[in-house]
Parts: sequence; C-alpha cells; structure tokens
Amino acid sequence: MSHGIGSAGRKSCFHNCITSTFSTTNSMLQPCSYVAFNSHLPKLSFPLKTQSGSFQNRPRASVVNSLYIGTESLYDLLGISDSGTLTEIKQSYKQLVRKYHPDVSPPERIEEHTKRFIQVQEAYETLSDPISRALYDKQLALSSRKEELEEWRKQWQSQLTRLKRRSMRQDSRANMSWGARMRRRSNQN
Amino acid sequence: MATSLLQTSFLFSLHSQLAHSSSNLLCLTSNSDHKFNRVRAAFDNHSTSETTVKATAQRTKINGQFKKLPNFSGEKPSTPILDNIYSPVHMKNLSLEELESLAAELREEIVYTVSKTGGHLSSSLGVTELTVALHHVFNCPDDKIIWDVGHQAYPHKILTGRRSKMHTIRQTCGLAGFPKRDESIHDAFGAGHSSTSISAGLGMAVGRDMLGKNNHVISVIGDGAMTAGMAYEALNNAGFLNTNLIIILNDNGQVSLPTATVDGPAPPVGALSKALTRLQSSSDFVQPCQATKSKLKNGAQINGDSRAISGGSACLFEELGINYIGPVDGHNVEDLVFILKQVKDLPQATGPTLIHIITEKGKGYAPAEIAADKMHGVVKFDPRSGKQMKVKSKTLSYTQYFAESLIAEAREDDKIVAIHAAMGGGTGLNLFQKQFHERCFDVGIAEQHAVTFAAGLAAEGLKPFCTIYSSFMQRGYDQVVHDVDLQKLPVRFAMDRAGLVGADGPTHSGAFDTTFMACLPNMVVMAPSDETELMHMVATAAAIDDRPSCFRYPRGNGIGSVIPPNNKGVALEIGKGRILREGSHVAILGFGTIVQNCLAAADLLKVLGISATVADARFCKPLDGELIRELTEEHEILITVEEGSIGGFSSHVSHFLALNGLLDGKVKWRPMMLPDRYIEHGSQKDQIEQAGLSSKHIAATVCSLLSGGHMDNLQLMSLETNNAL
Repeated sequence: MSHGIGSAGRKSCFHNCITSTFSTTNSMLQPCSYVAFNSHLPKLSFPLKTQSGSFQNRPRASVVNSLYIGTESLYDLLGISDSGTLTEIKQSYKQLVRKYHPDVSPPERIEEHTKRFIQVQEAYETLSDPISRALYDKQLALSSRKEELEEWRKQWQSQLTRLKRRSMRQDSRANMSWGARMRRRSNQN
Repeated sequence: MATSLLQTSFLFSLHSQLAHSSSNLLCLTSNSDHKFNRVRAAFDNHSTSETTVKATAQRTKINGQFKKLPNFSGEKPSTPILDNIYSPVHMKNLSLEELESLAAELREEIVYTVSKTGGHLSSSLGVTELTVALHHVFNCPDDKIIWDVGHQAYPHKILTGRRSKMHTIRQTCGLAGFPKRDESIHDAFGAGHSSTSISAGLGMAVGRDMLGKNNHVISVIGDGAMTAGMAYEALNNAGFLNTNLIIILNDNGQVSLPTATVDGPAPPVGALSKALTRLQSSSDFVQPCQATKSKLKNGAQINGDSRAISGGSACLFEELGINYIGPVDGHNVEDLVFILKQVKDLPQATGPTLIHIITEKGKGYAPAEIAADKMHGVVKFDPRSGKQMKVKSKTLSYTQYFAESLIAEAREDDKIVAIHAAMGGGTGLNLFQKQFHERCFDVGIAEQHAVTFAAGLAAEGLKPFCTIYSSFMQRGYDQVVHDVDLQKLPVRFAMDRAGLVGADGPTHSGAFDTTFMACLPNMVVMAPSDETELMHMVATAAAIDDRPSCFRYPRGNGIGSVIPPNNKGVALEIGKGRILREGSHVAILGFGTIVQNCLAAADLLKVLGISATVADARFCKPLDGELIRELTEEHEILITVEEGSIGGFSSHVSHFLALNGLLDGKVKWRPMMLPDRYIEHGSQKDQIEQAGLSSKHIAATVCSLLSGGHMDNLQLMSLETNNAL
C-alpha cells in the first residue's frame, strides 16, 4: 500500500523511493530510509542499499532529491522559517502528522492527506538531522542562486544587444565629446 | 584516459583526508549538487564506499564535463594545462573546458605558492576566472590590463610568464607583490594604493587615441576601491571624454578589509555598496530612471536604445555616460568569455563600458571562504587546513600597543574618537571598535574625507585620532595642510607603518611623513623609540588640545620595554628629548625607533673603545634646542639618524644648528636618513641594510669621521652584532 501511494499521482520526483519499513499505526513512525538519486545522472553506479544494506541503520542519511515539493520548500511544508530550531521542527511535525495521518483524516481526503503526510515525514527527516539539514540548506541556497544567475544572464544579454545596436550607429556630428572627435578623425585618415 | 586516472588518485587522497579532517569543511567546498551526492556517500562510514566513491567520481559528470577535485594537500599540484602556459598567447587556443580546468589549476597553484611564501591569498582566488577570461580574450601586452591595488594580480603574474618565480614573491630581489612596470611588460601600471586603475586606464586610452593606436584598455577595480573619490573623478571624466575603455567592477560585497572588526568582516561602508547590491536584485529591471521618466512625461520619443532604460541603479553609471553591463557571475568562465568577446568586438563608437561582475573573495578554497578575515593577507600556512604558521613573539606589535593605549585613554576621556579609512585590522582600531563601538569611524577608502571629517569633529570639541598608514596619509595631504593645520584644529594623526615596511615594498613604505608633517607651522611632530614611548605619546597627543599633532611608528614588534600599568601612558613634556646613554666625544641623536639601532651602534663603538652618547630626540617639532646645543657643545661628532627621507628630522636639526651658529664651531655633523631612491621590497632587515641605516652603518659613519681612523670600515662592517640590526 505504501508503495502504491508513493508512486501514484506524484508531482514531485521521488522516483525510486524504497522504503524499508512503513508502519501505519499511530505509534511513532519509523523513519524510512531510502536512497534517492538524481534522475539527470545517466548511469550511476551508486550503491543501492536496500533491506540488506547498512543504510537501514542510518536513517539520518536520507536526503530529499528535489528541493521543492511543488512550489514549497521543506521549510514551507512544515510551516516554519529557514532558521527554525529543532524544537520548532519537532512541534510542527507532530502537529501536521496528527492532522494528516490517514487514520484520522476524513475518508474523502485520505489520498490527499496521505500524500501530504509522506511529504511532511520526509521533510522532518531531512531537517531534523543537522547534517542532512545543512546539506539541504546549502542546496537550497545554490538553487535560488541558480535562479538568480539565470535572471542576471537574461539581463546582461539584453544589455549587450542594446549596446551593440547603439554602437552600430556611427558617432553623429552632434556628438562633440573628445572621444567621438578622435574617432571621426581617425576614420577620416 | 589520463584524466580519469588523475581523478582516482585525487579521490583517494580526498578520502583519506576525509577520515582526518572535518568533513564539514570539504562539504562546503563543493559548488555543485553532484559533488554533494558524492560527499554524502563518502560520509557513510558503514558502507565499503572507498571503491564505490572512486567509481562514482569517475563516472559522474556535471553538465557533461569531468570535474576533478581541487588538490590543496600541500604537494605541488598537477597542472597539465598551466604547465604549457608561459605567456597569454598560449591561452588563445584553449577550449572552454580547458579554460575552466585552467582556472582550477590556477587556484591550486596560488594556494600552493602562497602557503609557502605568505602574501595576499583570497583576493587572487576571487578573480581567477576573470584573469583567465581576460587573457584568453585580450592580447596582453598590446592590450593593457590595469589591476587596481594589485594584490589580486597573482594569477595574472602566473599566466604572464612569471610562474617559475612565484616562490620569490614579496622577498628581497624577488617578484613584487603588486604589479610593477619594471618587472614585466604585461604589468601596464604599477599599483599598491587603491582606486587608481580607472584614472590610469583613462590616461592610457586617451594616449592610445592620440597616437592613433587601436588596442584595448581594461581597468579592473573592486567595489571597495570604488568608494574612493578618485574613482568617481575618473568615472566622471571617462563619461565626459567618451573614449573607449573597459572597466570591470569586481564586486565581492566587501569594502573594508575583512579584518575591519574583531568579529569578522564589517558590512560594507557606504551608500554606494547598497546601490551596488540593489543592482543585483533584478526586480529593478527595466525601470526607467528619473531623466527618462521626465522625458516621457513631456511627450518625447524614447527609442529602445535609450541609455537610461536599464536596471535600477545602473542608472548611476549610465547617467555618467558609461555603458553598464551586469550583474554577471564572476566565477563562470563561459559567461565572462562571452561577454568580454562581445565587448571587445563592439564597433568603435562605444565609449566607456563598465562590466559589473559578482565574485566571492577566497572562492574555491574552503578555509578562506569561511575564515572571518577571508585569509586576505597571510603568512605561511598549511594548505590542508588553512592554519597559518604565525611566528610567536615575546612582544606585541606597535599597532597593538597603540590600540591598547588609545583604549586606555578613551576610558578616561569620553571625547576621544578614532577614525580610520577601511583599515580596522591594519591600524588596530578593530580592538578599539570592540570596546567603543560608537566612537570608532570607518569611512571607507577615503583618506581625504577622513582628515577633514576629523577636522570637523575637532572643531566641535571632540578629540579625534585619525589613524592612517604613513603611506596613505599622502592621499589626504592637502586636507592636513588646509583643513587642519591652517586652522590649527587639534586633530591627532597616528601614522602607522612609518619607515620601511618590508614585503609590501615602496608602494606602502612611509618614507616621507616626517618631511611633509614637520614643515607645517602648527604641527607637533613626535616619534617614539619603543612601545613605552609610544604609549606616552598617545597620552601626549590626547593632551595637546590647541594644535594638531602627529606621531609615527613602524611596522614590527616592540623591543620589550616596560609598559606603563593598564597601558595608560603619561603625557610627555612637549619639545623635550632624553639622553639614553652618556658618553663623550661622539653623540648620536636618533628620531623614532631607529634609536634602537643607534644604541646597538654605540655598543659596537664601545668594543672599539669609542664612547658614544645616545639621545632620543622624541620631538621633531618643536625641537629640543637645549639638548641639541648640549650635544653640539660637548661632543666633537654629532650624527642625526632617522628612518625618513631628506627634508625631515635631520634637515630641521641642520637648520637649527646653522641658524644658531652651532656649525661655526668645531663639531662635525653628519645626517643619516633614507637614500634618495626607493628601497625595493624584501625583509625589513634587508631593507635597512640597503638603506644604510643599520647599526653597523651608523658605527661606520662615526669611525669614518674620527681622525686617524680607529678601524678600517670594512673590518667594522663585518663585526658581529648582538641584535639583528
């Protein structure tokens, strides 16, 4: 059931999410450990440790693949700020879990809530472990940086085009600056 | 094939390093999410990841390119591409991939070299990609590249055929730490002080136009240097003249040196930095600025080429008549090469163009990126950890003694304020700032403004201590004369780095301050001979409230004299020197810390049976007339010694002697000062030797005057001395 829900109607790209244990009881959920890998990389010989692997003993090592789920970052998902403390993370996690757990959600909302639940779950795992949180923060900064750089690129490309157009026109006689006069003179020679 | 083999060996060294060093550090080095996955895998201690990590690294690509990990292990880095470059010409045929690898290799080379010699590290790391792009696109030495300040020119020096000499940088007879015209034709203009590059570049561009040549002129200036007035003067003129000039504004968000405060870099000083930051947020894009708006209102036609329609404060440059392009990622070689090529190929009628690039100081070397002072200026360090091997000394530096004593004065007198020009660390005022946050002013790189600002403070009754390096004081000289001395305002000038300064060379040496300060009618000019005297002089300056005063002290550590309790000095009697050692026949009168050399010379002379009196003048203005008279009347030989140029202390003494008829008698007076030439960079000891001011030289001068000659000067010069000088 867990896999079914995991793979149906997804908007995010958790492609090969392998969960070892996924208990649907009300008790504290075992954090699932999985390996997510970037679908952009072609042939990866990345070690895939599943049930037999030792990754199971390192639930902390889980890292989300995509930085944003839909349009929200993991922080937005949990409803906290970028600099939220561990206590805040835990608090909001517990609140959201109580809200979205499939067992307590109304029947018409089960699917939607369960999806949300998984997302909150993963967000919590990433952000509660200081190492994976640091890595995630770094990635987040990098990606917003990438967007910024894209904006810059568009900007200077259009600036260059404008500059080229402007320079095509020869110095008109009206331009009496020293540089223009020198250029006219050298063009005449 | 070779590349993948290289990758293997690097990864092994990386992995072993991971086991020891803090993994956080390496984690932060990466700049791609691909590496992030690899590092994360390496984290996992349970899995047998050695082989898998290696395999992963070999297979993985970033955007289709193999990327090898930087080697900062302390061994000579393997630099296959760099090894083939002896001149910028060799860079023309490199592909984009090779250029990017070259930039990485350059970084390794810089870290490797500077770790062995000391010098300026992070500024060079910030402009590696820019240097590679510039040399690939332009043709040095025909095209002129002018580096502002010049401490970021290490990659430029490496790429222009000086790689093999980089291990001599900043040492005696080695490469200079800044661009130098004498050193190479690729260094178009000497630098050391900031904000001169646009002016020089404009001059070169106009010269080119007048001579009918058509090379390119590129000035590289930082956002810190942009805060100086001179940069505006140059921009203003460039816009007016409208000649073709390329200005590259290297913006790393840092105006004052990162040592500005004790806790790390200060936020950029000044309104300009805010404006530059706003340029980076593209929400301001396509906002017509005021002039355009008013034109539009009046129904004028604005075609799409109008200069003034561009991002928010890009208008500042556009309004000055300078084409603006940016912001650009200063670490992306592809973008840089593309833009530079486009700008280079622009038709003639362009005028000045400014390319605004955003870089990070110390980029690519994690210890520099995370250090509070960004490892701006370093001594030898261990490249693996970035830890510097600072020499332990028994005494603190004069700078620190100055700061401590100023703090002690400020505790008792709350009118004392301190001003510096973007040199919080260098002047020691970062310590003062920590104690008295509201009473310390960093004005940015603006010495002229600092002086007049201090004058304004003094006019209101405060007690400003204007702390500027002796060499940089030259910038604010008119303000000292006109705004301070003429009006007799009690501004206190603390001139650090007086005399010869060592590795930075003549661009930073304070050879002239006594000359240009002591000729001012109202100025009190003092110089301490050791750190105790320095503290007393700080107190003396604090007490002088009716006229301006100044004191100079060198780069270096104290001699170990006993400092007053709680670092609180006692004001000296103005115009009174002191006799340190009694003797007969010979008198040596020193001004400043050179007195220590005089004492050592007296020791040497004692060995030869000559007894010498050593006196510390303390004041150059007003001179201690009584002391000088006494020395002249009771001795046959008088030597005056100072670590300054002609026209300083010795000149004032000579005028005094002449006017008072003291030269008409039997005394033989000889002055000793810095020779009439610039002393090249090197260790301070070597420089003093070159200048002829060591204790041996002083003793030799005495001996040459003694009738009959007690000893051959050559023999004297080879005598061993107890202290270094």
